[in-house]
Amino acid sequence: MIIEATGIARSLRVPGILLILGLAIEFLSLLWAKPLAFILFAFVGGALFLAGIFLYLYSLIAPRS
Amino acid sequence: MHLPTPGELLYVLLLISIVLVVIVVLRPGVTNSREGKMLAFLAFLILPVLCMFWGASEHIDRSKQTQFCLSCHVMEAYGKSLYVDDPSYVPAAHFQNHRIPVDEACYTCHTDYAMYGSFRAKMQGLQHIYVQYLGTIPNPVRLYTPYNNRECLHCHLGARSFESNPIHVALLDSIKSNQTSCITSGCHDTVHNVANQKNVKFWSPAQ
Repeated sequence: MIIEATGIARSLRVPGILLILGLAIEFLSLLWAKPLAFILFAFVGGALFLAGIFLYLYSLIAPRS
Repeated sequence: MHLPTPGELLYVLLLISIVLVVIVVLRPGVTNSREGKMLAFLAFLILPVLCMFWGASEHIDRSKQTQFCLSCHVMEAYGKSLYVDDPSYVPAAHFQNHRIPVDEACYTCHTDYAMYGSFRAKMQGLQHIYVQYLGTIPNPVRLYTPYNNRECLHCHLGARSFESNPIHVALLDSIKSNQTSCITSGCHDTVHNVANQKNVKFWSPAQ
């Protein structure tokens, strides 16, 4: 159980951090009604979101060691 | 009673999403149970996707605001032209008399009232950002294409004040086909006219 939990912890840590950063960037970008805020949201936040979601989905199907 | 705006609800959803992701990251053991796996699925997939689409919609709505367009330095003079105290200035007369939504003044006249016009306006907005930060801003700023009468007719066609004018009636086909331009054929030719801004009076709203 401990080994399994550690494996899950590792596989969720990176996507979790990416998603937290993406969500935080979206939060900050919405406080700022300027064109650069849109760029920040769309390119930086969007990339973090997509990477986080992709890694999470990959962790669901990847074989655990 | 204050009802939360969609923007405020989005802030709440973002905070809830962040808290749920933090919980799963700090306590991954919760995913051992079926409910925990569902929580992780909600926190790592459903809520972020919802936040992403809702956030994009919120940003797109904000990009229509007059304040948003005027936040770039190069647009300041155009924003000021909306307050010129002279009814022959077409944008000023529309803005000051609320013939267009004051909060979306730029977007209302400069979007393209055709299929995908809003999408094209967003793409041009990205190009504007590129030019603002990485390119060379043209002086004076010019439209990409001549102003299309379609944008004027979107509101004026069918309006009594427009159709009761015999000149409009006589030239209607020519106006519709853009052979006669509303703003460059000598009829309504004072538009933003920012080059002449030093010599005009400005209107100050009461509030």
